Amino acid sequence: MPFTAKSGKFNASINTVEIGTGDKAIKIGGENVLPLYSFDAPIENAPKVGIEITDFGMENEPDCIKKYYEGCDTLADIAKKAASFEGVDFLCFRMEGGDPNGANKTVEELIGALKEIAAVVDLPLAVAGCKNAEKDAQLLSKAAEALDGKNAMFLSAKEENYKTVGAAAGLAYKQIVGAESSVDINLAKQLNVLMTQLGVNPKSVVMNVGTATAGYGFEYVVSTMDRIKAAALSQNDTNLQMPIVTPVASETWSVKESVSSEADVPEWGCQETRGIDMEVETAIADIASGSNAVILKHPTSIATISNLMKELV
Amino acid sequence: MAKFVTIGERLSTTAPAVNRAFTNRDPEPILKRAKEQLDAGAVYLDVNIGPAESDGEELMKWAVQLLQSEFDNVPLALDTSNRKAIEAGISVYNRSKGKPIVNSADAAGRIENIDLAAANDAIVIALCNGEGIAKDNDERMAFCQMLLERGLEHGMEAEDLWFDPLFLVVKGMQDKQMDVLECIKMFSEMGLNSTGGLSNNSNGMPKHIRPIMDSTLVAMAIMQGLTSAIVNPCDLRLMETIKSCDVFKGNTLYADSYLEI
Repeated sequence: MPFTAKSGKFNASINTVEIGTGDKAIKIGGENVLPLYSFDAPIENAPKVGIEITDFGMENEPDCIKKYYEGCDTLADIAKKAASFEGVDFLCFRMEGGDPNGANKTVEELIGALKEIAAVVDLPLAVAGCKNAEKDAQLLSKAAEALDGKNAMFLSAKEENYKTVGAAAGLAYKQIVGAESSVDINLAKQLNVLMTQLGVNPKSVVMNVGTATAGYGFEYVVSTMDRIKAAALSQNDTNLQMPIVTPVASETWSVKESVSSEADVPEWGCQETRGIDMEVETAIADIASGSNAVILKHPTSIATISNLMKELV
Repeated sequence: MAKFVTIGERLSTTAPAVNRAFTNRDPEPILKRAKEQLDAGAVYLDVNIGPAESDGEELMKWAVQLLQSEFDNVPLALDTSNRKAIEAGISVYNRSKGKPIVNSADAAGRIENIDLAAANDAIVIALCNGEGIAKDNDERMAFCQMLLERGLEHGMEAEDLWFDPLFLVVKGMQDKQMDVLECIKMFSEMGLNSTGGLSNNSNGMPKHIRPIMDSTLVAMAIMQGLTSAIVNPCDLRLMETIKSCDVFKGNTLYADSYLEI
């Protein structure tokens, strides 16, 4: 009997979400197949890669990142430089300094920095908070106002602050809202339900379902993303058809494999190579599990993932 | 596994208001009842126009077009003993939200409704009954086999035959209830879909008792593998039970708001 290949495409699909405006706008999602299964049906929008910078500029960055930004004096310089690296689809500004337990920068200061960046970069923008739910509610609401009309992505609304963030970013300024849960599939769905009940257009929602660095309990990330895509596609669960955006750099650049210097652990070899490896391995594992976009830091990692996507999709 | 399919039963000529509306081609009461059922979570709507011997074809077309144009091509079960009316209904049916269901065929006088479903690429409810109620599960399964073969011979996919064990009334046939549940399990073990008029079980019971009996039976039947039922979707207890069963069976992913969606 001849072998007849059966397509594994589904009748349901992931929502297509556009981020940014004009020529540089990107689309994520839209596929009706499992991650990277382009042999089952064409994948219209290959997973995208963002670059992350923070309000600290190069202050806290390892030397292997700093060297790429030589000569950049201001945040605007850094942003311009970041946007120019090969394979960068969008720029993510993380307002790390807002953390009340850290630098506790004011909302005004951080929004000022955001505006500085937005003025010089024409790539689609993502804005990430400081991980303090209360402060993020203020920060992201103001950021949504500051970026009015830019169709930017806000990372993220959590269970504790989805009403404020969702209302500002999703309802008042019609931006893209990220719904963040931490490797908890039921909460991931619940947040999308709540956001929809709030009145946010489900087609303007993306999910950050959390990640770990590869090797650090990553199997939970895989199973969470797997089950989300399975429910979205095979059960046509409209509350899980939002594309997944995964901030990777903020995870991988803090593990010992990435931060230990070569002087401390000579047997591990070059620190930069290790940092890139951790970032690339985590990013591709996230994409293979269902992430529609990843946010990275090292230019080599970004070029690597970007090229890989061009080859695979 | 797919989610449990509810077929709303409240558009039936057995209700005098609906009967009048069908007779007078009065859209308002029909649309109102349809909307109530869809808002309550019905997937399919059953359109029971009765025997409709004189004007069945025209009536079914009218009803199908009325409901599908108002409610985004809602999928429908066409329920009448008038075969020409079912065919007429299918001729104007939009299947973008699901195939039409022919309600119903049995292993006696209505077996040709299987052929009708096959010819029109429809789903058919296959009642495992001959003349009168099957006396035991041997007989039910013999009818099931006969109906299944008939469908397959006419080119149907097995999944488009939804087998109905015939739910029996508790008051009077209490001793047969476990047979019905056992029969559903046999369908399920054969990989077959199943459905039926679940609320038959509570016929004649006080109004406040019926939701309790219906929701208990649906949970037991879903455990046995029932994949669909013809129900009153406006029965909140029943619908909450079905949604909860879908969670336990893994047919839908749990979220705290699962009852609201």
